[in-house]
Amino acid sequence: MKLSCIIVEDIQIAADFLRKFCEKSDMVEVKGHFLNVADALEYLDHERVDLLFLDIEMPGASGFDLLDSLTYSPKIILTTSKTEYAFNAFQYHVDDYLKKPFTFKRFQESIQKLQQKVSAAQALAAPAATSPAPSSDTDFLFIKAEDKLIKLKKDDILFLESMRDYVKFVTPARNYITYSTLKNMEEKLIGPNFLKVHRSYIVNITKIDDIRGNTIYLLGNQIPIGKGHRDEVASRLNIL
Amino acid sequence: MANIRIGFVFDESLNAAFLAELFDGDTIYAETVFEDFLRDLPVYWQRVDAAFGNENLPVLGTCVHTCKTLFGYVGFTDLQELCQQFENKCSVSRMDDLRDEYHLLTERKEKAQRVIEKEYNRLREYNEANG
Repeated sequence: MKLSCIIVEDIQIAADFLRKFCEKSDMVEVKGHFLNVADALEYLDHERVDLLFLDIEMPGASGFDLLDSLTYSPKIILTTSKTEYAFNAFQYHVDDYLKKPFTFKRFQESIQKLQQKVSAAQALAAPAATSPAPSSDTDFLFIKAEDKLIKLKKDDILFLESMRDYVKFVTPARNYITYSTLKNMEEKLIGPNFLKVHRSYIVNITKIDDIRGNTIYLLGNQIPIGKGHRDEVASRLNIL
Repeated sequence: MANIRIGFVFDESLNAAFLAELFDGDTIYAETVFEDFLRDLPVYWQRVDAAFGNENLPVLGTCVHTCKTLFGYVGFTDLQELCQQFENKCSVSRMDDLRDEYHLLTERKEKAQRVIEKEYNRLREYNEANG
């Protein structure tokens, strides 16, 4: 199945190459090309895509500003000619990093890797959906970690953190890491107690100690509130 | 004797091996990219000149960053590297320390532009002859 994408890139030659590579690969469908972050965010406000090809340095806001403002978690491939952004890419849990100018071969490797991740995540999610696992309104869930299914009480969970192809569950006693996406976990944790506060974090709002500025504090952990999530956080937590 | 189509060989001052992989024999697309380069570079370099004239180092770095990418797509990978070094210096140096390098970069840019103009014309002729 083709991945849908948008291209966020201010240099036309670079955007044209990307579009051409997407067509040539026959694995990615380009839904739009945007020259700046503001136009891309306006599109993403009402349309969802599977994948973003995202330049970093553009007029106005940067690619990282866009990532801070996203309200959902598409796959991200950063495209830039600066290797210095590799560390930031790691921090933002992007899926790949393509240094411009890149060849079709490099592009194809990136997309194939992404397709494999998507297929693997879907294969893992499918058995859980059909197994006699508890529905989202029970007080526990099972996660696959350390070669077994571990029962976690929802009330024990402080927060979840996205780590590329994995999700880390943080409890007061210990952490658990499972091969999944934050989006999958969001669906399992539908309810009044869990809230997505950043593209990479879901918190148990009953465990929040306090909020200072745009940071949530839970038992010594600091969780950032993403720009695109601030309104919902304020609304859900009844912040006056 | 059958006519044998000889592949297009890029100028030796370009990274020919990289261009061969980038365009994968698609000389029609290469012609388009070179045409776009010749159209876009003067516009982008005008911003470089303006930033240098205004002694605005952060903007100068950003404008050179844009041109750097263009050079890469037409095979000037060494000039791309030179732009990267200059861009890095824009964030740590004073304007006076960068003047000589700026002039060197400008000369290299002009030389690159002449090479790409020539390559663009050669590509057009090649594509017309083999179309």
